[in-house]
Amino acid sequence: MSAVDERRSGPGALASLRLRYSRTFGMAALIALLAFLSLYPVSMLLFGSFHTTPPGVAGAFDLAGYREVFTSETGLVLLNTVGISLAKTIPSLALAALLAWIVARTDTPARGVLEALVTLPFFIPPILTAMAWGMLGNPQVGAVNQAWRWITGSQAALFNVYSYGGVVWHMMQYSTPFLFLFIVEAFRAMDPSLEEASRMCGASQGQTLRRITLTLMLPALTTGFLLSFIRGLENFESPLFFGTPVKIQVVTTLIYDSINQRSVPEYEFATAMSFAVLALMCLLVFWQWRLLGARSFQTVTGKAYAPRLIKLGPWRWATFAICVLFFVVAVVLPVGQLLAGSMFRFFGFYSWDMLTLDHWTEAFDNSDIRRGFLNTLALGLAGATLTMILGGIVAYVSVRTRWQGRRIVDILAWLPWMMPGMVLGVGFLWGFALLPGPVSIYGTIWALLIAYVALGTPLSTRVMSSSYHQLAYDLEECARVHGAGFWRTLWSIVVALSWPSFAVGWVLTFFGIMRELSASILLYSAGSEVLSVVLLRLWGNGQSEVVSVVGLCTMALVLLFRWAQARFLARAVATG
Amino acid sequence: MVEVVLEKVSRKFGGFVAVDDVDLAVRRGEFVTLLGASGCGKTTTLRMVAGLERATSGRISIDGEIVEDAERNIHAPAERRRLGMVFQSYAIWPHMSVFGNVAYPLQIRRRPKAEIATKVAAALRLVEMDRFVDRPATALSGGQQQRVAIARALVFEPTVLLLDEPLSNLDARLRAQTGDEFRALQKRLNIATLYVTHDQSEAMALSDRVVVMHGGRALQIGPPEDLYRRPASAAVASFFGAPNLLAARVTACQRDGDCFRLSLDGETWSGGGCAARDFAVGEPALAIVRPENIRWGDAPSGAAVWKGEVQASVFRGATRSLHIATASGLLRVEAPALASFAVGAQTQFWTGEEGVWVVPPDHASGS
Repeated sequence: MSAVDERRSGPGALASLRLRYSRTFGMAALIALLAFLSLYPVSMLLFGSFHTTPPGVAGAFDLAGYREVFTSETGLVLLNTVGISLAKTIPSLALAALLAWIVARTDTPARGVLEALVTLPFFIPPILTAMAWGMLGNPQVGAVNQAWRWITGSQAALFNVYSYGGVVWHMMQYSTPFLFLFIVEAFRAMDPSLEEASRMCGASQGQTLRRITLTLMLPALTTGFLLSFIRGLENFESPLFFGTPVKIQVVTTLIYDSINQRSVPEYEFATAMSFAVLALMCLLVFWQWRLLGARSFQTVTGKAYAPRLIKLGPWRWATFAICVLFFVVAVVLPVGQLLAGSMFRFFGFYSWDMLTLDHWTEAFDNSDIRRGFLNTLALGLAGATLTMILGGIVAYVSVRTRWQGRRIVDILAWLPWMMPGMVLGVGFLWGFALLPGPVSIYGTIWALLIAYVALGTPLSTRVMSSSYHQLAYDLEECARVHGAGFWRTLWSIVVALSWPSFAVGWVLTFFGIMRELSASILLYSAGSEVLSVVLLRLWGNGQSEVVSVVGLCTMALVLLFRWAQARFLARAVATG
Repeated sequence: MVEVVLEKVSRKFGGFVAVDDVDLAVRRGEFVTLLGASGCGKTTTLRMVAGLERATSGRISIDGEIVEDAERNIHAPAERRRLGMVFQSYAIWPHMSVFGNVAYPLQIRRRPKAEIATKVAAALRLVEMDRFVDRPATALSGGQQQRVAIARALVFEPTVLLLDEPLSNLDARLRAQTGDEFRALQKRLNIATLYVTHDQSEAMALSDRVVVMHGGRALQIGPPEDLYRRPASAAVASFFGAPNLLAARVTACQRDGDCFRLSLDGETWSGGGCAARDFAVGEPALAIVRPENIRWGDAPSGAAVWKGEVQASVFRGATRSLHIATASGLLRVEAPALASFAVGAQTQFWTGEEGVWVVPPDHASGS
C-alpha cells in the first residue's frame, strides 16, 4: 500500500505522509498498551521471583524462592494438580463427546432445548455451584446424603464432597459444557455421507461410529482435551472449596495460601511458583501447537448438508434422558439447593417451621453485598466493552492489514492466554506496586479492571478475528473504491457486519468477569471487593444462607443474559 | 437376470410425497439413470434402494431377495445390502490414505491381508489410480477423489452399483471424459448400475434406459433415443432441449405399425405428424417440433409451414439459433452455423411429418 502512496505527487503525497505518521504513532500506542497488559506483569513476575521482600518494600535479590519451588513437597503439589486435571478431563471429554453426538447427530427429541440446557453450566460462575455442592455433598447435613440415608436407611454418607472426588466432580460440571461447546460444531459440520459411505461398505453403525465418526473427530477432541487439561491446571475454585479444608493442595491454592494464609506472606516463593507455572504453561501450549499443527482433517467444506440424523428408534428416549440427567445434576440440583438454602432458617434443617425470608432481607440490607454487586456490574460492563474494543482493534490489525508490527501486536495480545488468573494476579500485584508516577493503581478498582481486560483480550481477539476472516475482502475494498475513507469503511462495513460476533464476545467476556475469582482475590482491597470475593468471605464466615440468596440473584442475571443472547444473537461462538 | 426391482415404492415426509409409486427393474449389466430437477425424488429413490432411507410403502428386492417391504415391516440395513455406492461429495475419508479408503470394505469383511492388498491394487488399477496408493486422501483433486470413490465401491465386487450425481462436482471437460470412462468400465464389469443426475446430456450419453422423474413420479422410462424422439408428454420432451410446443387439433388419425399417423390443424398451419396413441378426430393435441428438425425455403407438399420474420440470430459455433416471429407465436430454429439469416428478413420454415411428434395437451397427460 505504501509503495503506491509514495509514487503519487501533489496534495496526495502530503495526505499519505500524514496518514503514514499517524499510523506509525497509532501502532506504537497499541503495542505499548498491550505490552503493559501482558509483557509488563510477566517481567514483574520475573523481577519479583528474585526479590526477598513483598512488593513495594526495599529488599535484596536471591534465589530462595526458586530453591523452595524445586523441593519434593512442591513437586508433589504439582503432580497432584496434574493428576486432578487428568482425572477430570478424561471423563468430561467422554461425556461431552457423547452429549455433542446426541445433540448434533441423532434424532433425540427436543435437541435445540437440550443443547441450551447442557451448555448452561458453562455460564454459571463456578463459585456458586461450588457453594451449592458444598451444601449438597456435605457428609453430615448435605441434602444428597440426607436423601441417601432416608432411602437406604444406612448411617454412612453416600459421598463426601470434601475429597479428591469432590474436586474432580465439581470441575467436571464446568469442563463438560466447555468441551461440549468446543466440539459440537465439529460434529455438526461433518458430512453425513462420510458415515453413510461406511455403512454402504458393510460396516455396522457401531463400527462406523468407532472407525469413521470418532476418528474424524480426533483433532477436535485432542484440542479440546489439551485446552480443558490446561484449564484444569489453572482451576482455583474447586480445589479451594473442596480441597483446602482436607489439605488437598494444588498449585493455585498453594500460591494463594502462601500470600494470604500465612502469618508472614511468602511473596518470593509465591512469585517464583507463579513464574514456574507460567513456564510450564508455555511448554504445554507449544506442545499443543506442535501436536496439532500436523493433523487437521478438512471435514468442513463449504457445501450445505441436508441434516441427516441417525435414527435411534426407542433409544432416543435414553439419549434424551442422559441430557436431562446432566442438566439436573449440573444445574437443577445446585440451584435447588441455593433456593432451599435461602428459604430455611439454618442450612441442613429442612422442615416447614424453619421456612423464612429473613435471609433475603438480610442480603439486600447488607452493604458489603450491595457494593460487591455494583462493583462487579460496573467492572463487567466497562471491562467487557473495553476488552472487546481492544480485541476488535487487535484482530483488525493482525487479520486485515499488512501494517508493520502487526505480528508483535498479535503475540502480545495472545500472551495472557498462557497465564492463569492467579499468575497474572501475582504479576500485576508486583506491577502496580512498582509503578512509578503520581497515579496509584494499587489497591483501587482500576487494578481489577486492567487485570480483567488483560485476561479477556486473547478470547476477544479470537472471536473478532474469526469474524473478520469470514468477511470477504471485496466488501471492504468495494467500499474504498466507491469513495469511503478508511474510518468510514471501518465503521460502515467492518463494524456493521461483525457486530454480532462483537456482541457474542461481549457476553462471553462479561460472564468471564462475573466468575473471575483467582485474580480478583489477589488484587481487591477494601472498597473494591467484587461479588465473588464477598461471597467467598461470607462463606468463610459460615453465612451459607445469605450466600444462597446472592447466588440465586446472580444465577437469575446469568439466565437473563443467556436468554437475551439466544434470543437476539446467532449461535454462540465456541470459546477457546 | 433382474438385479434390482422396485414395486410401487413411495416415500412420504409428513404430508409431502417425495417419491410416489415408482416401479422399476434394473437388469444385470444395465445402466439406468434417474433424471430430474432437484427435489423430484430421484436421490430419495436411490437412497431407498441403498437402505439409507426407509420406504413408506412398496417393495424393493435386490438379487431376488426382498430387502425392503413397508407392508411387512422388512428393512435390511444398508450394510447388509452389499451395494457399491458413490456419493455426490465422494465421501472420501480424510483421515485415511487412498489405500485405507479402498481397503475399508474388505477390512470390515475381515479378509486376509494378502487378499486385501491384491484386490485394492486391482481396483485402483481399474480406475488408473494405482500410482496414488499411499497418498493421503486430502491430497487428491476432485477427479482423483471420484476415482477412489469408484474403486472403493467396486472393490468388494458388488452386483449393483449406485451413483448419486458423481460427476456434478467436476468441471465440464473432466465431466465428459470421466463419464465416458465410467461407462466403458461399467460395460466391461457388466454390473447393474443405478445412476442419479439432473443433467440430461449426461443421462443420454451414459444410459441404457432413463427414468424421467418429476414431482416424485416416474413420468416415462425408456432408452434415451425413445425419450427424445417419442416423449409421452410435453413435460418429458421439455427435459431434453427446448422444443417448440404448438397447439393443434387432430383432423385424421390412422394406425401405421407401432405408431399412428395424424393430420393436424394448427392456428395458422396444418400438416402431418406421428403419435404413440390413438387420437379421435377433433381431439385437441400438442405438436412437438424440435428446433433442429425445422427446414427453410420451399416446402414439399403436406409439410407444416410457418412464415415469419427473423427476430434474433445467435451464432453458437456449431449451430445458429434463430427466433422466428410467426402468426402462431415464437418459433425456435436450430440452423447450421454457416446458413446466413438477416435479422428482419421474412422467411418460410417447414417440417415434414417425421419432424412432428404429437402428444395429448398437458392437462390431459396426467403429469
